[in-house]
Amino acid sequence: MLSTFLLSFRLKNTYKVNTIIYSLKQIPLIKRILPDALYQSKALKIIGNIISAILEIGSIFIGKLLYLWLMVYSISTLYTNSATTKGSFLTIFLALSIIGSYLNTYMFNPSKDKYYAMFLMRMDAKKYTLSNYTYSLLKIIVGFMPFTILFGSLSGISLIICLLLPFLVASLKIIVAAIALKEYEKKKIILNESRPMKFMWGITAILLVIGYGLPFLGLTINELTFSILMIIIISLGILAIIYVKKFDQYREIYQQVLGSTSITMTANTQAIIVDSVQKQIDLSTNITSSKKGFAYFNDLFIKRHRKILIQSAKKIAAISLFLIIGILVITQLNGELKQKINQLLMMSLPYFVFIMYMINRGQAVTQAMFMNCDHSMLTYSFYKEPKAIVQLFKERIKSIALINLLPAIVIGLGLPLILYATGGTENNYEYLILFLSIISMSLFFSVHHLILYYLLQPYNVNSETKSSTYTIASTLTYFACYYLLRLQIPILTFGIITIIFAIVYCLLSLMIAYQLAPKTFKIRT
Amino acid sequence: MKLIIDQVKKQFGEKTVLKNINFTFEKGKIYGLLGRNGAGKTTLFNCLNSDMEINEGEFYLEQEGNKKKLKPEDIGYVLSVPTVPEFLTGREFLTFFLEINQAKIEHPKTIDEYFEFMKIKQEDRDRLLKDYSHGMKNKMQMLVNIIAKPNILLLDEPLTSLDVVVAEEMKQMLREIKKDHIIIFSTHIMELALSLCDEIVILSQGELTEIDRNQLNDVEMKNKIIAALKEEESYA
Repeated sequence: MLSTFLLSFRLKNTYKVNTIIYSLKQIPLIKRILPDALYQSKALKIIGNIISAILEIGSIFIGKLLYLWLMVYSISTLYTNSATTKGSFLTIFLALSIIGSYLNTYMFNPSKDKYYAMFLMRMDAKKYTLSNYTYSLLKIIVGFMPFTILFGSLSGISLIICLLLPFLVASLKIIVAAIALKEYEKKKIILNESRPMKFMWGITAILLVIGYGLPFLGLTINELTFSILMIIIISLGILAIIYVKKFDQYREIYQQVLGSTSITMTANTQAIIVDSVQKQIDLSTNITSSKKGFAYFNDLFIKRHRKILIQSAKKIAAISLFLIIGILVITQLNGELKQKINQLLMMSLPYFVFIMYMINRGQAVTQAMFMNCDHSMLTYSFYKEPKAIVQLFKERIKSIALINLLPAIVIGLGLPLILYATGGTENNYEYLILFLSIISMSLFFSVHHLILYYLLQPYNVNSETKSSTYTIASTLTYFACYYLLRLQIPILTFGIITIIFAIVYCLLSLMIAYQLAPKTFKIRT
Repeated sequence: MKLIIDQVKKQFGEKTVLKNINFTFEKGKIYGLLGRNGAGKTTLFNCLNSDMEINEGEFYLEQEGNKKKLKPEDIGYVLSVPTVPEFLTGREFLTFFLEINQAKIEHPKTIDEYFEFMKIKQEDRDRLLKDYSHGMKNKMQMLVNIIAKPNILLLDEPLTSLDVVVAEEMKQMLREIKKDHIIIFSTHIMELALSLCDEIVILSQGELTEIDRNQLNDVEMKNKIIAALKEEESYA
């Protein structure tokens, strides 16, 4: 078992190191410096290995630190009026751990390393799975331990519980794995992490409401009940280990998890993403369009992809409306909260940059555009003519902006309403600025995603992202928005800056896109 | 009409895939482009189709004595894996294509006439391309590429995965349209190249070489090609 693990670990590491070197080679300036015989270079392999080791350690600790800090601890400290930090921490932690047990299983994640090892290299599926699964569980326990101790202690939770929390997370995952394997034995259908079953989203919503909602009402789990639950779960986890160890059909389940087509062809996560994006095409042919030329083409694209484009924007708008109404109702019931929300809103406009970034459908739209449209169309010369590229770009920018405008209008109208309902502001312009800045943010992100797509077109013929520049630009966008979460700037100042910035950015980038897109918008080779 | 490849060089880093190629293709002929795996056939097609930039040289199109640089609209490129917008029906794809290219298409036919020409059945014309079979997608791709009558047709193994009936229909269609085009047909199947193509061109070690049939029968020709591909024989 150990030798299987070491072999698979080396395989994964080689793949990671080569990916790192490949990514370095995609950065324009670095590309020129690095020689072709790069993959043979020992020095570079060592650097690659060091980066890979840092990333591995990072994956063990950093994600868990951020998760516990941002999603559990810092939120549990917000309920001080209604519940103790300890109670909130335990409630949120338990709810999120249950969600993670079926949405983040490791075992049922159709990752390419599993395909390479079990199908391409024909490694023993059981030995491979069990050894790597054990490693992933150990990473959970080791990775969580320092931070459950840190944040648990800060929340006033006893040390013994802090020490057992990582085991609780691991146990929940093993229990779900055992249940899924048992189900496979009965029904021959296996859980696939990239395609969660519909009921799981319902359970997730309920658990999120329980985790984050109950502490708000003063209802939290107490330490004793939590301890009893934890002991039961860990005991069940130990029993589940026996079953997972005994299970003998790992090769069969991975044949299903990785998908029959991907196994025989290029099986990797990308193939599954492409497949899932292609499945989003609306099959009804009674959808029509009265437009002409590229407007006709784009109109049919948007209508046939309404599931991932229009309907999801509608869902986001509906959720935003629900939250706005919720906040309006709650603030009317609680006078103290009313004042707090008013103060918060007056200074927290930067926070909405991150929210608008998160809800913008730009990236999903451009991904669907490539996989279901440009991937094929860019092989036709008429489609690559500069005039055609600019014409379609104009149509698309209108569509993306319109799709994103629906939730933006709901939020843009909702925020001034909340501001007004919580006591208002002395400067009436602030209502208008609040609305306009939200609309500007929406337009900015719509343009930004499409510009990045047209100027840095990141996909190759296999629909894999092959542009480090695109990845860097996307990551920088994320971090810039994330950084703004920390800023507190009055509505008027930040709002005006946002509106001006968005207008200037949109105008400049559109001008650049019209000039450069005909040269840059092509399939990566 | 001639397609002139003038001193074209293509490198990937330090590897030279196309070495200062000089070659002329003429209208009215189907050229069979043969080469071993990795010889650079698809690279050559990608360069001709402007999907890749060349490092040196130029592609020209000569018409009635006028020589001009090759433009993307001169090219129709049919790939072995059919690439069609799967979210459109066959009819919608043709409608869109005809609207966009109306200025370039002389004497356009009706959409149904085009479907008839390509032998696409009535009941399939309003189905999503997503639900078309491989062969039907290939027909659509071929159809769109020949409607606009590009001067040059690049065919990258387009018949390899088609059933015998569709493959025969496509071969017949290529023979019918060759008088107006320069057709370059890349394939691994020697018999197909010999039965369909008027000229055989080999891409080997980054260079293009025409194999002269010179009254050889198919078996002799086949041996000559294999020898050239293996570089065992001098065929200059």
